[in-house]
Amino acid sequence: MKKLCLFVLFHLCISSAFAVTTIKAEVNGMVCAFCAKGIEKKLNALPQRQQSLVDLKSRVVALQLKEGQTLTDQAFVQVITEAGYSVEHVQRVNQSIEAIQAAMKQAAPATTGGPQ
Amino acid sequence: MRMPPTLACRTVVASLCLFQIHAEAAALMGFADSAMLMTEVGRYNQEWMLNYAPTVGHAIGIEQMRMSAKGEAATTITGVNYTGLIKRWNGRSTQANLWLNGGLGEARGLHEGFAYTPGVQFDIESTRLYFLAKTRMIRAPEMRYDTTAIQAGFSFYEASYEETQPWLVLELKSMRNTDPSLQITPALRFINKTYFLELGITNPGQGEGFAPRINAMFVF
Repeated sequence: MKKLCLFVLFHLCISSAFAVTTIKAEVNGMVCAFCAKGIEKKLNALPQRQQSLVDLKSRVVALQLKEGQTLTDQAFVQVITEAGYSVEHVQRVNQSIEAIQAAMKQAAPATTGGPQ
Repeated sequence: MRMPPTLACRTVVASLCLFQIHAEAAALMGFADSAMLMTEVGRYNQEWMLNYAPTVGHAIGIEQMRMSAKGEAATTITGVNYTGLIKRWNGRSTQANLWLNGGLGEARGLHEGFAYTPGVQFDIESTRLYFLAKTRMIRAPEMRYDTTAIQAGFSFYEASYEETQPWLVLELKSMRNTDPSLQITPALRFINKTYFLELGITNPGQGEGFAPRINAMFVF
């Protein structure tokens, strides 16, 4: 029992220490790749960026933060609005970009663009 | 060849000042802090434009347009231009825009003197459908190449952000004082995240009016 408790405690510590933070938004007006390039360019310029994702079909823009880095939702939304789009919904998830992509592919095959 | 200082100065001022172009795409400018290069090469008019958008919704740049009516010498307008986004509607799966643009410059060639080119454009598009209407005055002393155009198109399939998306677009464009005044251009459009390329044929099947047309845009 003691070993099990230690294992669970250890696992929890490890999980929280290496938790992935990804900011994810549903974006309105994002209808073509050429027009949405501004979002990618601005996200790529962020020092906090680990990986990013722009997906036209699901209207999702996501930014996975580097470990230990922070970015406010407001700053994330500003990147998108400055590219000319509006944000409908923002959330933080503990999923990597790869995991989000995999989920999207499962939901609708061939809809997802690659990580940026 | 060395230009006289006054002429060189006028050319530079004019170059630094018209710009615009009726780009054949929804976007007349890029995102904040971006530059956009657009070009259109057709039989009756050739244009290129380079603009810079310091903020979303405003762009300034330089433009050169060359136009000629059938059997006439060409007129070239060089100048600066401003493009403003009057209103953007971002829907869940659509985007619509109302643009205002206007250029000031100098005409040279068949017609010479001060030139002005105010215009307005409305466009709406989804990931599969596209519509655009625009009108523009292109005027200089004794010159009126006012244009009005509508475009409609559809994409063959929905593409991901990483893929190139092909479209079929049909444009009807009337240009005052040209022959033929109505130009019908079916075109294939390819949209990628790094470029916009359109290859069309103006007035196919109309003998002398037949002409290829190329539009391209790049954003940096």
